[in-house]
Amino acid sequence: MPKLIIDEREITVPEGTKVIDAAERMGIMIPRFCYHPALGAVGACRVCAVNCLDGPIKGIQMSCMIDAQDGMKVSTTDAEAVDFRKHVIEWLMLHHPHDCPVCDEGGHCLLQDLTVSGGHGVRRFQGPKRTHTDQHLGPLVRHEMNRCIQCYRCVRYYQEFTGYEDLGVMQIGSRVYYGRYRPGTLESPFSGNLIDICPTGVYTDKPSRYRGRRWDFERRPAVCLHCALGCHVTVSARYREVVRQEARFSESINGHFICDRGRYGFPYVNLPQRPRSARVDGTETGWEAALKTAGERLESVAWKTGPQGIAVVGSARCGLETQGMLKRVADAKGWQGPVLDIDPAAANVRTAVSRLDSDLQVSLREIETADCIVVVSADPLNEAPMLAPALRQARRNGARVTVIDPRPASLPFQFDHFPVAPDDLAAAMAILIRKCAEKEPLSELGKTAVRSIEAVSDGADIPDADGLAALYDDLHNSRRPVIVCGTHTAPPEIPGMAADLALLLRIAGPRAGLFYVMPGPNSFGAALLSDPAPSFGDLVSAIEKGEIKALVVAESDLFGSGIDWDRLRNAMNKLELLVTLDYIDSPTTRAAHILIPTLTSYETPSLLINNEGRVQQSPAAFRGGDPIARTGGGDHPPRAFRRDIPGREMGAAWTALLTLGGRDPGSAPVNLTAWLGEAHPALTSLPEASDFPPDGVRLPLAENAVERFQTDRFSHGEKEEDALTLLVVDRTFGTEELSSLSSILKELTPSPFIHIHPEDAAELGLSEGDAVGIDSEAGTTVLPINLTPEMARGVLVIPRRRDLDDRLPQERRTVLSKTAIRKATEDA
Amino acid sequence: MLPTNVKQMLNQQIQAAEHPRELAIDIMMAVQDHYGYLSDEALEEAAAIVGVDPLKLEELATFYTFLYREPVGRYVIHICDSVICWMNGYESLRDHLCKKLGIQMGETTPDGLFTLLPVCCIGYCDRSPAMLINKKAYGPLTPAKIDEILETLRAEAAETTPS
Repeated sequence: MPKLIIDEREITVPEGTKVIDAAERMGIMIPRFCYHPALGAVGACRVCAVNCLDGPIKGIQMSCMIDAQDGMKVSTTDAEAVDFRKHVIEWLMLHHPHDCPVCDEGGHCLLQDLTVSGGHGVRRFQGPKRTHTDQHLGPLVRHEMNRCIQCYRCVRYYQEFTGYEDLGVMQIGSRVYYGRYRPGTLESPFSGNLIDICPTGVYTDKPSRYRGRRWDFERRPAVCLHCALGCHVTVSARYREVVRQEARFSESINGHFICDRGRYGFPYVNLPQRPRSARVDGTETGWEAALKTAGERLESVAWKTGPQGIAVVGSARCGLETQGMLKRVADAKGWQGPVLDIDPAAANVRTAVSRLDSDLQVSLREIETADCIVVVSADPLNEAPMLAPALRQARRNGARVTVIDPRPASLPFQFDHFPVAPDDLAAAMAILIRKCAEKEPLSELGKTAVRSIEAVSDGADIPDADGLAALYDDLHNSRRPVIVCGTHTAPPEIPGMAADLALLLRIAGPRAGLFYVMPGPNSFGAALLSDPAPSFGDLVSAIEKGEIKALVVAESDLFGSGIDWDRLRNAMNKLELLVTLDYIDSPTTRAAHILIPTLTSYETPSLLINNEGRVQQSPAAFRGGDPIARTGGGDHPPRAFRRDIPGREMGAAWTALLTLGGRDPGSAPVNLTAWLGEAHPALTSLPEASDFPPDGVRLPLAENAVERFQTDRFSHGEKEEDALTLLVVDRTFGTEELSSLSSILKELTPSPFIHIHPEDAAELGLSEGDAVGIDSEAGTTVLPINLTPEMARGVLVIPRRRDLDDRLPQERRTVLSKTAIRKATEDA
Repeated sequence: MLPTNVKQMLNQQIQAAEHPRELAIDIMMAVQDHYGYLSDEALEEAAAIVGVDPLKLEELATFYTFLYREPVGRYVIHICDSVICWMNGYESLRDHLCKKLGIQMGETTPDGLFTLLPVCCIGYCDRSPAMLINKKAYGPLTPAKIDEILETLRAEAAETTPS
């Protein structure tokens, strides 16, 4: 622990701390352009110069390049250092266009700040400035090379940190140019971070151009809703609209960066289609009035059919408050449910949640320190994008990353891929578990475990079984292995087997971790707060039988539940009453008899539990209301005085549920934290909203030991001859519910196609680019095929696009007869 | 398109390399030797051989002095502008070359014979001021010597060019 003096104050820092970081700990921000904690030091910009007055190193030094050492005496304010920095800034500004007034970075520009604070006020350079041609980089990032100061942050981030190679640095000397080989859309789904990381205005946010300066915005922290990781963002809102989002640092989750889905998924908040006034049978009424009518009609249904005739449904995008309230109201009223997660993966998520415990939990950042990672039945880039850069950092630190998944995996780094068909995934896991059992005495786990492991021994007929056996040795010899397990398309036994493997590894020695990938931002909460039965499928059957007459649906689109759309429509037509509470326009809100608009997580605080079991608070970013751009029809808003905000006659979904539950809106405020504690024991010790820690709190979890090594999970389905498994899978853009409504991301959503293994295609007589028709329950879908050798045999993979959902089978995994797949004829 | 035998040879080199990227410069040099300079098409062909994105080669090609991304003349004159040559009067020699050839730095003579480019140190400091023409170093230079060299090259060109 070296002890050093910076600006006459003493500080002790851990070994290996750079002087620039040591100073920052004391609150001294040494100027910097190229240095970034996530990228490390290169000493390229020369602006962090300090003077070392005494100690092991002396003279002017770059503070990002020297480690803090005992006896150092560093001055950041020394005249020589100040003069040095001043000249560096002047020289960096030689070719700068001085276009701050028209630059989108103006107002939050590091170069602007340092130029002013460094004292460079008068331009002495009289020569001609070098200029560059800008490139079109796609819909997200705007390029303006003339403003560049050659700090190399962008290219180091883009190529080294996230592993994409289509943006680089070209030329030499004063001609240095950051860009692409040819203009075009950036390939990385993490390209928006260029905007945050550029210390000047070379990369700026394209969708929010001309929308305001940073000081015009209401800026608040928030938690991202577009996957289960719960990354941290900063929201900028203006004129009752969310305008821009930036990455917000989080020590445990996303670090400094976020993905483009998280950054640009927000426009659903501002959409003109968003329900803003309550409707009863298609007629607009006030919010309170609609709630009152809904309450009365629910009472009348309950009077006729009993409380069992009413069911409540939520979703994985509801905050914990709403989920908790659904449970409380349903319990109090005797209504059926709540079904809190209607996603087809809900059962898998439930297994995952029951198997995670505090010893096995790892955070996203902890994955970066793992040395052997096995990803099972998950597709990081598409299902939880920020997991991909975390895995890459582990790889950069020397970890071996292996993916066991039928899909054509693509990750921005070198990894091993076992393309195992969905039916064989359990067998592949069994090989790893079996191998572990051979090496370690398992008697301490009890008879069930031994029986279970023996039961799964038959798995050696899958391709590359030896490779998997060898993988076990790597797992066994690693220090910190992590099993990453998906839930989206995983066969039901896989999440449990992943936990079994992690447990066995723990017995074998290494400190194994377990990381589940889940579909929704609060899938975890839904699994925690609701019971396994009824499932949403049970509810639909009960509706069909006429047992359920009324449905209360909170922030959930039933058409994403995996139930066939025609069946669902028929069932919904049978309902006497459908009350829908939501903030997006969906087939479910359109079908509602009573529609109650609700506030988004940008407008009301909400608690979310991420995939790791971490409860986070997303505070309200702004008050909401109909965007001024619309109330004014593009002009000045109406000059009429009113005391409320137009288009904001609504509340949080949980307050609406409270009223539906019969509580008088005028009564004393409720203690939500205490109520959540009553809903689940793990939620008893949640901190109050005012002192919620920035990185949230990890739930105290205990593994459900009863579910360990369950033999009956290995229900090896008999393989059907002449059948193919159709997987309908997530994509980074276009699948997730809220971000698929984003106009900004439309351009990045690829047109749909079918992945098929070339050998399967040959057997079916298909070739690259053929239009292929697939017959299923949902009708016939015709899509072009894409021959992909890096995937499992016997599988068709269709990346799912929400706007085409009605044409695809709703199940994520369907077994199709080969006769259902044929080349579409010209006239079809 | 590169002739099949050249392409085959380069592919063999890449296959023999432990890390294909280590041969990026050599491959680009070989492709440039074939075409005379690295056109976009040539660069993309080289990238396909090395197995990287064209951008990765563009990064190198635009950094290194001896890889030409624009057409050059038959003889590429690199006159050294680094510190020793500068002390020994490189500027007047450069002016002499420009006047003699009737072009500015970075330009090619209309007959396509000579291209004039700078280079920063060719390790010929002991015989500075120096220049490099098609990989051959000349120095110490005087205006008279330069005239002589240019004449020799012109004669050589006339001899080898079929009329």
